[in-house]
Amino acid sequence: MNEIEKIKDALKSSNAEKIVAFVRKESEPREVLKVLSPNEVDKISFSPLSLNNPAKLLMQINGKVAVVAKGCDSMAIRQLIKEGKLKRENLFIVGISCKGVVDYRKLAKFVNLSEVNDVELNGNDLVLKLKNGEKRIPFLEVVDENCLYCGHPTPVIYDVLIGEPREGKRDFSDIEQFERLSREERWNYWISQFERCIRCHACRSVCPLCYCEECMVDPSNLAVSPMSTPEEKASYPRILGKTVNARDNTIYHLLRVLHHAGRCVGCGECERACPMELPLRMLERKLEKVVVEIFGYDLNEDIPFFSKLDIVGD
Amino acid sequence: MKIVTFACNWCSYAGADLAGVSRLKYPEDVRIVRVMCSGMVNPAWILRAFRQGADGVVITGCHPGDCHYMVGNYYAKKRYLLLKELMKFVGFEDERLKLLWASASEGKKFAEEMDSFKKLIEQLGEQKQLRWTP
Repeated sequence: MNEIEKIKDALKSSNAEKIVAFVRKESEPREVLKVLSPNEVDKISFSPLSLNNPAKLLMQINGKVAVVAKGCDSMAIRQLIKEGKLKRENLFIVGISCKGVVDYRKLAKFVNLSEVNDVELNGNDLVLKLKNGEKRIPFLEVVDENCLYCGHPTPVIYDVLIGEPREGKRDFSDIEQFERLSREERWNYWISQFERCIRCHACRSVCPLCYCEECMVDPSNLAVSPMSTPEEKASYPRILGKTVNARDNTIYHLLRVLHHAGRCVGCGECERACPMELPLRMLERKLEKVVVEIFGYDLNEDIPFFSKLDIVGD
Repeated sequence: MKIVTFACNWCSYAGADLAGVSRLKYPEDVRIVRVMCSGMVNPAWILRAFRQGADGVVITGCHPGDCHYMVGNYYAKKRYLLLKELMKFVGFEDERLKLLWASASEGKKFAEEMDSFKKLIEQLGEQKQLRWTP
């Protein structure tokens, strides 16, 4: 019995009202997330190109939901349960022990995607079933960079687990290497990166933890009319301009990341959604390093990071 | 030089007041913004201050354990450390951000610390990294 059959069986046994799972996109080899009713369970599919995180979708669905979750997705679900945004009893989680996902952009450089019919992982190779024949690519060359540092490949919370549990690791070597650069080099690097940011806010829209109904950068914060009293104006603090330039973008990204301190689950959706391919995960991982090394906090703790009242340093 | 100071209403603002009442001199570059608690200082305000041309930002609050709201300064310390580490990581001169515990009776300490911070900022020179330049 292969992986997909096992997932289908587990979903059938869940008696949930809705199913959130990956469905093969037409004319493209990748999967997208869909909300299905229980009798549509045969549509589902799963492959190393099932990239997205279903946690954000779950917040919009009422009633009992069955969901297919990889390691990082289950981290996000658990974090949202911790923060009171989801209810555990409403969820049936089919956890998948994840071997890593493919970076769609890297794969597109290897092969014309419209010719690919099927993708599967075989040992250390990614096997692409093309219209005419087969192509093998070493998995390490197309794997999402984020998956190389994955700390939780096995779901941390699940009802049914599919696949063998896998060990995660904690590796901050790339951050440490970057920290060894001089201050000017670091500043120039980040300014050259943030210069390219177009402030589309896709990183915010796609992040499972950015669920605020009104974000600090939303224009509704600035709804000021000629009739507004000074008191009303004062209650609309303008934290950040809408201008797109390297420095405002720097501030936007620093603030965005600060809101994820001790919460970021490391699914890498921000980087995947970014049209300019900015290294956003690097900032998140730096904060994770601070949270782990300076504050001694572990993401697996039941208490949220900011609620822990211990004082560090002098 | 412009130094923006967020001073908490209960300890540090009173401490700064005491410095004034006791006729201690501290640099006139220090501009105090009174907030109800150091825990309410949003990192966004600090970055905005730098954006608007501040050369240094100081957050002052009650000593740990003395907070009027019990735990406000614990939050302040957390936010400060995270922001500072992140600023260091992107290559911003993180010495320009300082956290100071000053109680209502420490007018002298407040004045001295402000003096030494002003000297440090003078050594670093004008803050150009985030300042608004047309």
